[in-house]
Amino acid sequence: MATVEERVKAVTANVLKLNVDEINMNDSFTADLGAESVQSIELVAMFEEEFGIEMDEDAALSVQTVGEAVEFITDVCEQQGVEIEE
Amino acid sequence: MRLILVDNLPDVRFNFYPLSLGRPLWELRCGMSSLADKLIAKIKPDSVAYFVPDYMAEVYKDQVKESVNDTAALAGDDLILVDPLVKAESFDVPAKGSGEVGLDENGRILYARINKGDIKKSTFDDIEAFLATIKSELPNVSCKLPTWEYVWDLILANGEQIMAEFAAAGRNGFEGSFEEPIAVRGSKKDVFVAQGVKVHPMVTIDAEHGPVYIDEQAEIHPFTRIEGPCYIGKDSILLGAKCREGNSIGPYCRIGGEVEESIIHGYSNKYHDGFLGHSYVGEWVNLGALTTNSDLKNDYSNVSVILDGRRGIDTGSSKVGSLIGDHTKTSIGTLLNSGSYLGAMAIIMATGKPLPKHIPSFAWFIEGIVTKGFGKGRLYETAKTAMSRRKCEWTPAMEVMWDAVFEMTAPVRDKAIKKGRRSLLK
Repeated sequence: MATVEERVKAVTANVLKLNVDEINMNDSFTADLGAESVQSIELVAMFEEEFGIEMDEDAALSVQTVGEAVEFITDVCEQQGVEIEE
Repeated sequence: MRLILVDNLPDVRFNFYPLSLGRPLWELRCGMSSLADKLIAKIKPDSVAYFVPDYMAEVYKDQVKESVNDTAALAGDDLILVDPLVKAESFDVPAKGSGEVGLDENGRILYARINKGDIKKSTFDDIEAFLATIKSELPNVSCKLPTWEYVWDLILANGEQIMAEFAAAGRNGFEGSFEEPIAVRGSKKDVFVAQGVKVHPMVTIDAEHGPVYIDEQAEIHPFTRIEGPCYIGKDSILLGAKCREGNSIGPYCRIGGEVEESIIHGYSNKYHDGFLGHSYVGEWVNLGALTTNSDLKNDYSNVSVILDGRRGIDTGSSKVGSLIGDHTKTSIGTLLNSGSYLGAMAIIMATGKPLPKHIPSFAWFIEGIVTKGFGKGRLYETAKTAMSRRKCEWTPAMEVMWDAVFEMTAPVRDKAIKKGRRSLLK
């Protein structure tokens, strides 16, 4: 199984039409990766599908960077009993 | 004599979604007034008591002076209980007489006349206990009173109701101000312009086929054409609108473009061009520029409406437009199919194509699919902003009520979101 970081980057690359290699943990989804508000919604939806979790919209959409997303999703997976590779 | 209005049957309420999600059934409008106004005008009670679903009780208490969900109102006076969906003009039950309960063929109470002393028990835990008691203790009679069955019945009857209520109001003439040139077609007896109304120049009021009632403080901008029957509510503004026959608008609406045979509740905006026909629009709705709905199919067959997200219901009419719930907003260029259902608190972003016919409440319809969007918190923030612009307050009770609606409507919305996810994953 891929790590949370790898999976987050893969989903991000897919939604934002980027190469995985271009995505860094410190990248801001909006300022660095060019995510528009509609794509933010799509990212949240696709993270939920990828990990099989339910995220609070307000909390999820307050996440700014890829690294924060990895941390946030890891926490949600733990809270919801979803198995992940760290 | 006290009039008791009860709204406690979920199956019946459902037929008036999305408009009944945030209000009791008797607050729905048709013609120049609400269903409650019509029943009160017909029955002329000394007082009124309301029984609404618990989740909206606190909000409704803030809106009316009379008692809400207070079982003390069931004692101390003769009572006439009337199903709020009984058509007032057909209600011919005398207020005085021996106690009895009128039931339809399915056992639904359409009315009950209860005299002081008819019921031994004087206190009740809730309205359901009271209804069960009167049904068991008073004579039951079968009756066939006409009722409103679906929300589109109100749309289709709107013109006739305006004509009847205009005649009953017995008012005509210009009490407000107007600037020449103004054209009035038909008889001036069929036009009433209330105090404080401002009619700008180059306005046409066409009462040839029905009366026009413009209520207090409304403002009619140049190049507006108003065809009767029509009711323009207090403080509404028409902005060069092509206001075709059969509309009830307002109060506090801003309306432009072409509108026909539609009911629009207070504080809703359709400022710009675009067609709205045979539609029912809730409160605090904003229809973006060029939002347009179809109200007639190309083959002239009956329009169906999907209330539950799955099954279409034949309206029996070839003309039905859109049902749009409270606080819903559409983007510019939104295209709505005939018989469309847009739930309450929904955000609609146009796709260039007609939308699916059912968009659930609290949905964010983006890029052609239903999503969770930015969630209900953001929708509440928007509602708060919209209301403050009109000096109205978004209250904690409203938030509690809409939270309940959010939960009630979750199953249909979740299914639609899943369907959207599947199409994203393809």
